Amino acid sequence: MPTTYYLVLSFVLFLIGTAGVLLRRNALIALMGIELQLNGGNLAMLAFSRELGDLKGHVFAFIIIALAAAEAAVGLAILVALFRGRQTVNLDEATLMKR
Amino acid sequence: MSFDATQLFAYAPMLILIGMGCLILLAETFAQGASRAGLAWLGIAGCVGALIAIVAGWAGAAEPTTHFQGMLVVDRMALFLDGTFVAAALLTLLFAPPYLREQGFEFGEFYAMVLFATAGMVMVIHATHLVSLLIGIETMSLAAYVLTGCWRRSLRSAEGAIKYFLMGAFATGFLVYGMAMVYGTTGGELSYAGIASKVPQATKSPLFYLGEYFILVALGFKVAAVPFHMWAPDAYEGAPTPVTGFMAAGVKAAAFGAIVRLLGSAFASPLLVFDFTGWASVLAVLAAATMTLGNLAAIRQDNVKRLLAYSSISHAGYLLIGVVASGLGVASAKPAVLFYLASYTFTTLGAFGVVAWIGNRSDERLYVDDWAGVGTARPAVALAMTLFLLSLGGVPPTGGFFGKFYLFRAAMESPQLHWLVVVAVVNSMVSVYYYLRVVVSMYFRDSTRALAPTEGATMRLGLLLTAIAVVLLGIFPGTVVEWAGSIALK
Repeated sequence: MPTTYYLVLSFVLFLIGTAGVLLRRNALIALMGIELQLNGGNLAMLAFSRELGDLKGHVFAFIIIALAAAEAAVGLAILVALFRGRQTVNLDEATLMKR
Repeated sequence: MSFDATQLFAYAPMLILIGMGCLILLAETFAQGASRAGLAWLGIAGCVGALIAIVAGWAGAAEPTTHFQGMLVVDRMALFLDGTFVAAALLTLLFAPPYLREQGFEFGEFYAMVLFATAGMVMVIHATHLVSLLIGIETMSLAAYVLTGCWRRSLRSAEGAIKYFLMGAFATGFLVYGMAMVYGTTGGELSYAGIASKVPQATKSPLFYLGEYFILVALGFKVAAVPFHMWAPDAYEGAPTPVTGFMAAGVKAAAFGAIVRLLGSAFASPLLVFDFTGWASVLAVLAAATMTLGNLAAIRQDNVKRLLAYSSISHAGYLLIGVVASGLGVASAKPAVLFYLASYTFTTLGAFGVVAWIGNRSDERLYVDDWAGVGTARPAVALAMTLFLLSLGGVPPTGGFFGKFYLFRAAMESPQLHWLVVVAVVNSMVSVYYYLRVVVSMYFRDSTRALAPTEGATMRLGLLLTAIAVVLLGIFPGTVVEWAGSIALK
């Protein structure tokens, strides 16, 4: 299959992820959106890597997977801290500092 | 391809920081109560060790040398900023212990995270490859998210951390996608030099521009440039105050270092700089918007911490002018940016240090009115704060004045940027207004309630050191800019 298909899919994934972060007010869904964004980037990286016959893209994808895991760990920990304080992860209610 | 372990010696500062961070994590498990204070000293020792390693490496770095198959580079620009980051970490470790003890969350992990974040910053500034850039940015950012949210008793801390984390991770999404686009369109290049060599072919595809601008958007988030700044005021206000200083100074300086290096090598081709779609014109508009919006928002703030947060946004705007000027070929712009980063780092850390000093567990005293009477009660601290605020406003004889002076002079050399200099000068005059509000409150108004600041010997030492640094940068700017200037000669 041509690389273009994969690129289109990767861009769609990226857009869904972006929309998830920007539009949904639940912090958990926003976290999932971020994962989708990263996966979109990964898929594009792999598609290019296959097309060019170059291994660097594959290695980069592994590094991104590891980074995504580290990010999820820190993100969930912060989410737990937020939930402990106010029994909700709704971002619209996180307004202590709005003036 | 072989691995030569002796290359590691060139990165001794980073390795010392990481090693000491791990040591603190180990020691923390055995630490009880009072012995936690010793953990901060371990961190300080690590910073001093890293500073010695930087000074030792300075002479050998006159010519840039790359290591690890072009992943990392050692040059004077990197070492200059390394010194700035490590100094920022050192000062944070001086300010933090009394503050953490007062607020009741003194954990060894805090000091370890400061060191890990600093190691990330060092990696960012040495990176000449998209992989090392990504790893450096993430190491720095993840540690910064944790530091923002580590104040367990405070709801604001968790709230600031979640906003910082979501926006930061969102930016990472853009960074990764942008890198994938650049990788594909350049035919498999990830190193800055490789990308630069393939730009003429790569620009045939619009995807390359998409990748380039996605990477710039991600770095724009990290420096809190308008319109990617919305996380900054909340994250800065929510974070423990010493961390706010560290983020506003170190994280921002590292991201600026990355921008300067990336735009100066990978995206330096005239095909990408000029024209309406080139990054020079885009960043010039962003610079004007960042300064203006940051200042306008700061004027309306009564909370000193938030005021300084918005002021740090406007400083990102001034710095962008230097980045644009350097892209347009002004040779003196890069040293000017580096000098500005150094003076801004010390000034910001000092200002947030005073904000950390003034409050206590039950009364944070964050509002401008709460600062009334500090001038008579504690003249030395009031004098230091006045110095920091004047330096932020760009009033002589402080480091901040010369920072702005060098930056604007560099921008004046490019006729296309004259309008931007006018905007910047008007902005810095406006900014003096809100900085002076705090000074007026300290000196000319009577205190309503007694001052009970967070005392601590290390905090006093930190304030003294930052004040001396700001004054020295104002008295001997030529020497420092020469260190920075030796960088610009390639």
